[in-house]
Amino acid sequence: MICYQCGCTLSEHDFCTNCGADVALYKRIIYISNRFYNDGLERASVRDLTGAIISLRQSLKFDKNNVEARNLLGLVYFETGEVVAALSEWVISKNLRPKKNIADDYINMIQTNQNRLDTINQTIKKYNQALTYCNQDSLDLAMIQLKKVLSLNPKFIRAHQLLALLYINNEEWERAKRELGKCLEIDTNNTATLRYLKEVDEMLLPEENSKKSRKSEEVIKYQSGNETIIQPVNVKEGRGVTSLLNLAIGLAIGIAIAFFLILPARIQTARAGIDEELKKVSEQSDAKTATIDELQQQLSELQTQNDTLQQDLSAYMGKDGTLQSVESLMKAAGAYLTDPEDVTTVADYLDAIEGEEAEEGEHENSEAFDNLYNTLYALVGPQIAESYDENGHNAFWAGNYEDAIPNLAKAYQYDPTNGQALFDLANSYYRLGDEAKAKELYEEVIRLFPNTEKADKSRNTLAQIEAGQE
Amino acid sequence: MINFEEELKKFHPSLEVEDAEEAIYNQDLTDMADLMVKIVKESKKTGE
Repeated sequence: MICYQCGCTLSEHDFCTNCGADVALYKRIIYISNRFYNDGLERASVRDLTGAIISLRQSLKFDKNNVEARNLLGLVYFETGEVVAALSEWVISKNLRPKKNIADDYINMIQTNQNRLDTINQTIKKYNQALTYCNQDSLDLAMIQLKKVLSLNPKFIRAHQLLALLYINNEEWERAKRELGKCLEIDTNNTATLRYLKEVDEMLLPEENSKKSRKSEEVIKYQSGNETIIQPVNVKEGRGVTSLLNLAIGLAIGIAIAFFLILPARIQTARAGIDEELKKVSEQSDAKTATIDELQQQLSELQTQNDTLQQDLSAYMGKDGTLQSVESLMKAAGAYLTDPEDVTTVADYLDAIEGEEAEEGEHENSEAFDNLYNTLYALVGPQIAESYDENGHNAFWAGNYEDAIPNLAKAYQYDPTNGQALFDLANSYYRLGDEAKAKELYEEVIRLFPNTEKADKSRNTLAQIEAGQE
Repeated sequence: MINFEEELKKFHPSLEVEDAEEAIYNQDLTDMADLMVKIVKESKKTGE
């Protein structure tokens, strides 16, 4: 403590040992200031922030230079969300004691973080805006704004209180109580908070209050000697039967709830499970049926193919199971090897091969088959042709045209250069009266052997046929 | 019963950061010690 007049450090005496000034009253003022500071500190430590603010302000009214009290006041303001007030106190404190002052740290903490400072400023602006909305009767907008404020600064007591007041005005008592509860967590002894809370509690529990008063009416008090007897009115003791009845009713209600609420839900769940299983099985069954159908279709196709192939094979097969055309060729080759002069037998077998091929239609033979067939044909062809030609012409000249026709046809078949055989074949048909076939063959003679006598004769005969038809 | 309008009047706009400087300058820092010194000085003057 220093002398207010000369600035010298004071001793335990009531005067300044340097300038002699009377410092008794001054010391008393400083003591009172310190006492208020102590009180403020004690209140702040139990979160009675409102009480702490009052005490610390008192302390500063007695001694503005009480830096500790000023710093603590700033801290309490900061805790209640009043950041600008806190900053003001710390700035003054720093001016009063520029060195070794904790206020310096507090100021730096806020000023070095620009984002935090912006958030603080935004919070204050939003709160002021909310207050303006309240005054303009836009209470919904005010509520929204206050919720934003509290999301940014949850310790802003005034915002909590204003929001609680708005809830009270809307008769949303539970919400108001919740907000006031948050206020009390920050500041346990705020007068406005407690006043609002009392109002909310009264609105929330009117029945309890009335019950309390009713209870007092439901007792009879009377004096017996020196003792006061308090006897409850209309209180019946519980009976065993009633208890059992209540128990039974409770049990019945429980069973009914289980039957009507729980059981249907269980059944529904079970049914849903079964339906799901059924659906799966049905899907699997459908897939299998589709596969079976497909396989059956393939089977029938294969069966058809098999039948066709069987038919083809049976057509090729002889009685002993070998291919008929091959068998005939083998026989023809065997006959030629046995007797090369017996061309008639060889010709019969070769005819048989041609007949079979004509019957079965054109098909691919093996190379060996074709080679053997062509070799045999080249070896015996001319002799066969000659034999048929001889037989055919003998029959033709004898007037036996039925026998002449097959022989002459074979003679021409085995020797396509034999124009006479073709011409006499046509004549045989003509004489038998088959003019259509005869005409066909005459035209073939004219086409294949032009500028020959046979061709001229054919033309003449054709002219006769056409004249006869007309 | 709380009167909303009356209660609302008790709420005042909060000081913004920009206004802090002005608020500091305008703060009345006179304390009891100042008053006492002033009274002592004035009493001395009147005594002389």
